[in-house]
Amino acid sequence: MTKTRGFLVLTVLILVLALIFTGCSGGDKAQQENGKVVIGSKNFNENIILSEILAQLIEAKTELTVERKQNLGGTMVCFNALKSGDLDMYPDYTGTGLVAVLKQPVNTDPQEVYDYVQKEYNDQFKIKWMLPFGFNNTYAVAVRQETAEEHTLKKVSDLTPLTGQMVFGAEQEFFNRPDGYDGMTKIYNMKFKEHKAFETALKYQAVAQKKIDVTDAFSTDGELITYNLKILEDDKKFFPPYFCTTIVRMDTLKKYPELEKTLNLLADQISNDEMQQLNYQVAEKKRDTKDVAGEFLKKKGLI
Amino acid sequence: MSAVFSIALEHLWLSVAGVFLACVIGVPMGIVILKIRVLAGPVMGVIDILQTIPSLAMLALVMFFFGLGNMSLITALFIYALLPVVRNTFIGLTGVKSELLEAGKGMGMTGWQLLWQVQLPIALPVILAGFRVAVVTSIGIATIGTLIGAGGLGEPIWRGIQLVNTPMILSGAVPAALLAIIADYSLGLLEKSVVSRGLQVKNTN
Repeated sequence: MTKTRGFLVLTVLILVLALIFTGCSGGDKAQQENGKVVIGSKNFNENIILSEILAQLIEAKTELTVERKQNLGGTMVCFNALKSGDLDMYPDYTGTGLVAVLKQPVNTDPQEVYDYVQKEYNDQFKIKWMLPFGFNNTYAVAVRQETAEEHTLKKVSDLTPLTGQMVFGAEQEFFNRPDGYDGMTKIYNMKFKEHKAFETALKYQAVAQKKIDVTDAFSTDGELITYNLKILEDDKKFFPPYFCTTIVRMDTLKKYPELEKTLNLLADQISNDEMQQLNYQVAEKKRDTKDVAGEFLKKKGLI
Repeated sequence: MSAVFSIALEHLWLSVAGVFLACVIGVPMGIVILKIRVLAGPVMGVIDILQTIPSLAMLALVMFFFGLGNMSLITALFIYALLPVVRNTFIGLTGVKSELLEAGKGMGMTGWQLLWQVQLPIALPVILAGFRVAVVTSIGIATIGTLIGAGGLGEPIWRGIQLVNTPMILSGAVPAALLAIIADYSLGLLEKSVVSRGLQVKNTN
């Protein structure tokens, strides 16, 4: 009796194991398959929209099929996956490359930063930055409009004496970057009463509902419009300028030479306002990312 | 609807795969530390520490070895499932009354026979309870798998959070909760059904 049961359990285990391993063999590295590129994105709207634009552009202009891995957990996940070949490309920001990946001090000259990350990425990681999309996204410090009026806040420095009674909230990544919370509080000599981490999309709600008083924002965020937030001027020029563009593995570019030309069609095509508008369409108008991306490409005559 | 169903199935498959791996390795591990008692402290210590690693950090670490996708998620779930599986195996086996072991020995049972015919059947409900905890926990943890490119119900949940789209969040969260409840209930039934008849009589007292 116990023996037969033992065998039964064993058989089930073996079957399940077999299932697991056959099931997982599908996860081959991206480059091993012919005619396919894997496009990643980080887990916030703007990056997802941009990766969708890339995907649809490639699908329209080349014979390649595209696999989407959108919504990956932040810069480090995307970057490591790109290095290891799990991804072929994803949209990234030059400032992120400079500060978060290369661990270099902040530099406020956008062209210098672009040239620097281009060279270092080429040499160290065999990854190439395409031509910038055009918009310049940077961190910004935002407060509720009424808070700004009440304390007549214009610049980030104006905030410093008030920080003792204020709560700061941001997405987790902001707390882990030298050009984020630590650097900002040091340069501006701030001591917040408390700081909290949120999912990117929730921090604006948190400000609006007065759970927090101050948050970081991306200057292209559509939510700034909806939640009526005021961006304070970065008067000490702490936040570096972030050009955004696609970063691609060099061996992918070599394998599919048509890719580089295709991706560079997006050079200087997306202004700050346009990016903010795209973000707004998805985040606030609740429109489908695919539709918004496709519409944008059509409007630009790219597909 | 069918899309949700297939994602939910994938979610269940991923969760259970990790826990099954943990059983395949964890149950023998529990037996080994029972036999070689000096190992019990260190092994449980290491497993305890692994358990304290935050789940997103664990996924990021595992990703170094297995890259993006399901394999990394399954590995992380496997690591988290080790604690309940190994601990319950160990506790279940050590909880067998010494008079029962003596009786077995008195009947001339070998060490293997004791383990297979006395200790394991008595410990089985406890071991399965560990399995049950592990499955339910895994179903929860698997929702963050989407952050490393794995499938499952995490995708609508995370996308819904970003879009502040409650119906989308619920389309992932509700099936995940249902999966956990169904898994818990059916494993509870399994737990009852595997108790050997002799022990069941005792339990009703």
